[in-house]
Amino acid sequence: MTALLLTLKKQPELPVDLSPLTPDKLKGKSKAQISAIKLINGKDKTPVSTLFSVSGSDTENIRIQRSCRQLTHIGEDMSFGEIQVRGDAGNYLGKHMHGGHIKVSGHSGDSTACGLKGGLIEIDGDVGDRLGANFIGELHGMSDGTVIVSGNAGHRVGERMRRGTIVVRGHVGEYCANWMLAGSIIVLGKTGNYLGNGMKRGTVILTKKPRHMIATFRHCGLLKIEFLRLFFKQMALANKEFNFFRNFGPEAIRFAGDVSCEGLGEILVLKNARISK
Amino acid sequence: MLTKLLGGIVYDPMHGVKGKKRDIYIRDGRIVRKPGKNERIHKTIDVSNKVIMAGGIDIHTHIGGGKVNIARMMLPEDHQQDPVRTTAKTRAGSGYAAPSTLTTGYRYAEMGYTSCFEPAMLPVNARQAHMEMADTPIVDTGAYSLLGNDDFLLQLITKKKSQKLINDYVAWTMHASQAMAVKIVNPGGINAFKFNQRKLDLDDNNSFYNLSPRKILKVLARSLHELGVPHPLHVHGCNLGVPGNVHTTLDTIEAMAGLPIHLTHVQFHSYGTEGDRKFSSGAVHIAEALNKHKNISLDVGQIMFGQTVTASGDTMMQHSGSEHAHPNKWVCMDIECDAGCGVVPFRYRDKNFVNALQWCIGLEIFLLASDPWRIFLTTDHPNGAPFTMYPHLIRLLMDRSFRNDMLSTLNKSARAASVLDSIDREYSLYEIATMTRAAPARSLGLTDRGHLGINACADITVYNEHANKEIMFAQPEYVFKNGTLVVKNGKVINTPAGSTHTVKPDFDPGIEKHLKKYFDRYHTVKLGNFKISDDELLDYGRESLIVHPCVNN
Repeated sequence: MTALLLTLKKQPELPVDLSPLTPDKLKGKSKAQISAIKLINGKDKTPVSTLFSVSGSDTENIRIQRSCRQLTHIGEDMSFGEIQVRGDAGNYLGKHMHGGHIKVSGHSGDSTACGLKGGLIEIDGDVGDRLGANFIGELHGMSDGTVIVSGNAGHRVGERMRRGTIVVRGHVGEYCANWMLAGSIIVLGKTGNYLGNGMKRGTVILTKKPRHMIATFRHCGLLKIEFLRLFFKQMALANKEFNFFRNFGPEAIRFAGDVSCEGLGEILVLKNARISK
Repeated sequence: MLTKLLGGIVYDPMHGVKGKKRDIYIRDGRIVRKPGKNERIHKTIDVSNKVIMAGGIDIHTHIGGGKVNIARMMLPEDHQQDPVRTTAKTRAGSGYAAPSTLTTGYRYAEMGYTSCFEPAMLPVNARQAHMEMADTPIVDTGAYSLLGNDDFLLQLITKKKSQKLINDYVAWTMHASQAMAVKIVNPGGINAFKFNQRKLDLDDNNSFYNLSPRKILKVLARSLHELGVPHPLHVHGCNLGVPGNVHTTLDTIEAMAGLPIHLTHVQFHSYGTEGDRKFSSGAVHIAEALNKHKNISLDVGQIMFGQTVTASGDTMMQHSGSEHAHPNKWVCMDIECDAGCGVVPFRYRDKNFVNALQWCIGLEIFLLASDPWRIFLTTDHPNGAPFTMYPHLIRLLMDRSFRNDMLSTLNKSARAASVLDSIDREYSLYEIATMTRAAPARSLGLTDRGHLGINACADITVYNEHANKEIMFAQPEYVFKNGTLVVKNGKVINTPAGSTHTVKPDFDPGIEKHLKKYFDRYHTVKLGNFKISDDELLDYGRESLIVHPCVNN
């Protein structure tokens, strides 16, 4: 069985909601049935066959070719299988996803991995704002799973995050870990202002000291945290992308906060974190 | 154009018509006499063996104003989960507990309702409320101004100003805010909340003004009576939701000493403190008091199980209820010198003792009240349940075995604490027509609505008779608004704009001299900008402005 290949024919003018095209919802469907599925396109409904040329049959392994920013909600609610996106992805990629794997070769839009509940999302390019944050109106952000971004991320990374891991290899914008409840965020690049604002629990791991810390974080000094060594070793074992983590030592400067709320969160700035490219 | 509705079974309580077969003729938006033999009938609609009633009137439903908008903004998930797509005739919308304006209008019309009244319009928010209601298509609207917690009135009472001056102020406010009646919410309590009081009983004093709710209630009830506003003071009393508040409610009724008042969402004010859990039903006492005091009318504010949002001007009670917010987010705010508002989302659960007993209490009040002319069917949308639950509620009232089936699934202790299963009464179609049409129309002074007499406004609903009353009332066959067919087979086919109803009692314009000083000193709005003119109201997109006359008392 070859992977189900969806090649975009022409870039649509209005956003297209791709949430019906997940391994869960396509399970057991024939090529003709898949072609007939209607997607919400602006205020109209357009069949898959009008937008995409469809080939292949393995619905557990979906490939979207020539993807662009207008394709939103990719992999929404999916719980198994794999979606590979060649090109850019739109907003709400992996929204409320339970499991499985999404890989994007280009950039991804806003609210990527919002309300993520499990699984792995990898993005080779940049992502927009609200990575791993709460879906609008909900009280919790991502509650499990892993997101790896090779490029930069926008503002409000991990807002209201509940559990899980976010790794950003580039820079992040302002309000990173805003109102974070728990979980881990690792940023290898620079961070913006208001890092950790309203953070209750959770961990943000950095390789560079932030340019500006908000006043409600306490400096706890340089600590040797043995757990970090174990943590990074495991990370490196779990994913070969993280091989560089092996070098990361146990020494880190710890900031505790945000003391204006519960104050059990921590920002760890690693010492001697060398990233071998 | 002359339209004939052929052979329907008419229920018209205003004229005592109890299910009689009768033809109805409509011309130019009015119901007319049977035309002469030579006159041409342009259109005949065969409605033989279908039930005909006047268009429904909802006397208490929160469909406009600041708090509903806050509820909409605070609960995006409510809208995500209930999207309404655009059709050839209707526009898109969303929302279950606090639907968007357009969807509100369509859903009311699809249920056979043609007039809805927003009960809690803060005068300072009147412009926003009227604009929202202008965006609510098909149905007629009107609003009650919220008084009784505004500093100007409390100052007038504290300084022992004459009743005449207070009447002028009340009438001026009704003019300025284009109101239909006056509502009082937690008399003096919202104001007391601003002075850090968290509880105010009927005879407790507001710590700043030294005024008790009893005094404020009396002054306002008298004022409306003297002004001749058709709808009496619309009272949301003290101690909403507090166990034992049935005594407060009974005391309020006694305190009125014969002055007419309307007690709203009385289910929330009918709790006793008996039993192991110190929470019991006071429905029997309330129904007894209603049957005894002819000056009292009430609407029930029935709760239904499920997710909803409570939106009220009662900051004091919403603040104390905020710990029960589900999902856990809420807003309480102070609004100028007028009052405040609180929005707390809430889920009523059938396995919860308190919620289950609340459900029973509401139904007990319905079933024990003997006079359907003084009790109206409401869920206090969206506080008890969204208005879309009305057909379900009607079925509960009309079908005893269904009611008992529902009851048997509820919390066991609540069932034991309620007398509901021993009540045999079933409402008839005639009584339902009374409490949803004729009675609210009479209470509000809408002389040409709520009935099917000659020259009445042709707001007509045609139902298919069905054993399951929920289905019958959820999907009327035809709904006419001002003679235009707006709903066919339960689907909206026309969306005319509704009208705004107001009442404008006379007053001495000299009151503005006092008000100008007060506005300049305390308000964010200038007196001139505060007032909404008739032209402005029509500019919002209403079909017309209907001013109802005052009555001489």
